[in-house]
Amino acid sequence: MKRSPARLVIALSVAAALAVFIVYTSIAGAGTPQISPSTLGPHVGEDVQLVGTVVSKPTGDAHAAGGMRFVLKDDHGANAARTHVLYTGSVPDLFRQGRQIVVEGTLRNGTFVAKPGSLITKCPSKYSPAKSNT
Amino acid sequence: MTALALALGAALALAVVIAVARPFLREPAPANDVLAKPGELERRRLTLVEERDRALAALKELEFDHRTGKISDEDYRGLVGPLRRAAADALRALEPRAEARHATVA
Amino acid sequence: MASLGRAALLLSFGLVAYALVGGSFAAWRRRRRLALSAQNAILAAFCTTLVASIVLVVALARRDLSFVYVAQHTSRSLPLGYALSAFWGGQEGSLLLWLLVLTGYSSLAVWLNRRSGELLAWTVPVLGGVAVFFTFMLCFVSSPFATAAAPADGAGMVPSLQNPYMLAHPPMLYLGYVGLTIPFAFAMGALLSKRTDERWIVVTRRWTLAAWTFLGVGQLLGAHWAYVEIGWGGYYAWDPVENAALMPWLAATAFLHSVMIQEKRGMLRVWNMVLVALAFGLSIFGTFLTRSGVVNSIHSFSQSPLGGWFLGFIVVITVFSVALIYIRLPLLRARTKLESLVSREAAFLYNNLLLVALALTILWGVVYPLLTQAVNGETRSVSKPYYDFFLHSFGLPLLLLMGIGPLVAWRRASLRALGKTFIVPTAAAVVTGIALIATGFGSSTPGLLAYTFSAFVAASIVLEFVRGRRATGSLVRLVARNRRRYGGYIVHAAVLSLAIGIAGSSAYQTIRERSLQPGQSMEVAGYTLTYRSLETKQLQNAQATSATVDVSRGGSHVTTLHPGKSFYPVEQSLSNDVSIYHDPRSLGDVYTIADGISKNGTLDLKVLVKPLVNLVWLAGVIFVFGSLVALWPDAVEQRRLSERYAAVPV
Repeated sequence: MKRSPARLVIALSVAAALAVFIVYTSIAGAGTPQISPSTLGPHVGEDVQLVGTVVSKPTGDAHAAGGMRFVLKDDHGANAARTHVLYTGSVPDLFRQGRQIVVEGTLRNGTFVAKPGSLITKCPSKYSPAKSNT
Repeated sequence: MTALALALGAALALAVVIAVARPFLREPAPANDVLAKPGELERRRLTLVEERDRALAALKELEFDHRTGKISDEDYRGLVGPLRRAAADALRALEPRAEARHATVA
Repeated sequence: MASLGRAALLLSFGLVAYALVGGSFAAWRRRRRLALSAQNAILAAFCTTLVASIVLVVALARRDLSFVYVAQHTSRSLPLGYALSAFWGGQEGSLLLWLLVLTGYSSLAVWLNRRSGELLAWTVPVLGGVAVFFTFMLCFVSSPFATAAAPADGAGMVPSLQNPYMLAHPPMLYLGYVGLTIPFAFAMGALLSKRTDERWIVVTRRWTLAAWTFLGVGQLLGAHWAYVEIGWGGYYAWDPVENAALMPWLAATAFLHSVMIQEKRGMLRVWNMVLVALAFGLSIFGTFLTRSGVVNSIHSFSQSPLGGWFLGFIVVITVFSVALIYIRLPLLRARTKLESLVSREAAFLYNNLLLVALALTILWGVVYPLLTQAVNGETRSVSKPYYDFFLHSFGLPLLLLMGIGPLVAWRRASLRALGKTFIVPTAAAVVTGIALIATGFGSSTPGLLAYTFSAFVAASIVLEFVRGRRATGSLVRLVARNRRRYGGYIVHAAVLSLAIGIAGSSAYQTIRERSLQPGQSMEVAGYTLTYRSLETKQLQNAQATSATVDVSRGGSHVTTLHPGKSFYPVEQSLSNDVSIYHDPRSLGDVYTIADGISKNGTLDLKVLVKPLVNLVWLAGVIFVFGSLVALWPDAVEQRRLSERYAAVPV
């Protein structure tokens, strides 16, 4: 090849990568919304990630049929909104009242029904990279 | 603030100032304070030397690729000629530089 | 003593600021003594930073609780080793570690290249500039030397950090992250001094390789820590903090390959400048991510004021690099052109494109929540499926390329020879693929592809050694004379081990959960696990409860595992203690988690059988070995290089 094919190769490769990307995002959808209790209301029946702080003492057993129940509020701000969560599956070590958590699931009949095992507790100190994940 | 901390801090500050001032203290009135910079001749030489090294390395790689079977005999015969010529050109281009180098001011 | 620490850091700040300002002036106006003085300032800054670090280390060792930092991250009952590791366990200390490594590396780089010359003269201010940011943060925004009335006892250390891997993981990562500053500084120095030669690459080659190795090993240590300590059964969760280290590593991998092309063929000169700036920028961005609270991550808590400063610094370096590269574009013309799309240069080019594409898709995934918040007002995030898709799309071709690259020649592949060299690896891949499908591994397409491609790459690497040995007569002589190439092949073997380990432990793992009473058993992938009893033990700073679980296979007892939980009274927290059996037959693990232990003795046991996972850790060892081979000084090469640069100062 007389002329440098490098530019053609780069252009085609970038186009290919972009095509892969666009096809994926259009098929798989654009991510899961991260919602806090105060904005959960309109998302009834939708699969979302709920972010909040645990304000009640958790009751029940996450490994039993009845599941574990606790109440969440917004991480920031003095919003009065509260969400009741029903959770089954592994409970991370750091989980307890007062901790910030993320849990995936759907709001149904006033209770947020969590996807089993999706509970993640955030590490309470500013930089320490400690993780509790399922 | 303990006396020890104060003394250590002062000593550190002094050491640091001396370290930074050292080039000026060693040569208060230098004959030449100009930062060395490669002249035009030197830049050309450097480019040619790099070209020479590249050509020689390419030859060496070609030999190795041929011996390990990545390049067939016919392809080798076709490629080695131009590479040898390129290397010879690079070597030749450096020759007159060798004399000029002695006359160069660093 | 805290005031000594503060004073030392202020001195560091003054010194690196001097290196930046004085050094720039010296390079611009070509003042030799001033340039030397700026070099000395860098060396002195290392000494002052070292003094500050020693102050902090001593305070941690003595549990001097008048230091706010010590009180926040240690306690009297904390074992000494972990108390010392608190140096990098908190925000301020980790910044100090960053600065210590930065000034240490900069001093070494300056010292090794100290004959006064133009390239170093412009590199010193760039090093100084980066250090100015960190010293500024340490002196005026986030100081480790704040003092207060000493409390009765410190807050203690999060139990999951009390693990040997946490002693090594952050320093190793920092040696990597910060190490990327050196090639960046020399690259910018070369542009600032309007150099058109490749000296900056020659000077920084080993730095880049070392930094890349540290970063890779650091990530593996972190993954191993997550695996054994956090105990959810995995080793990588695509969390932003993990991605923060992966992205610069991918960019650095691309850079390592493309500089070889610039050295050999004089091509990709603009691309290399962009890539080194990208690698450095991503390493700073990674540091920003892990501290700013800006992205919703397991590892961050509240919005930190540091985030704004870091963002500003990232903007400054990005604008600086882009502007400088653009202005010097005419100097960066390539000396040769790509001759063929089937050549080793082309293979390296595809490798680069795939690596950068992967790094950018990960970056997109990390900042996606921020973008959606800014554009829509609603935060959306992506997770494992997104990352897995792109890891497969870009990673699998990369794996295959690793096997193809060595088989093609430079400049233009000899198509006649290509058939012959491809036959054995292709056959190996096809045979492996058929055998795998026949034995049921077709359940996972990515897994199957990963294994098949790995067979191709393995055959290709082995052939390289066999053919090379035949050509030179002895294996030792082969490797000794071609350190970079064969060291590189060993590193490729490490990547292969990593790929196979990841494929086996994710695509082909088995997970089961059961609630067991004492005496009950469960079956997982051919293993039988029987829960026997519970024990409670008192440790130095914790109370540990563990379950005894017998593991047998095919009727015969294999081992006894003890999954459980530990309670740390000072920190008032619970920690998961997983128990793992490393099966030498399958190189895999039987991984047990005591998900729940109830008062009446019921054990909620979760078992994961992860085939081949130990290849992931083995890869780390092979990485180091391969890098050492590639890094090893070569007397012949040194002689040639010193002759090349004899008349021209740095």
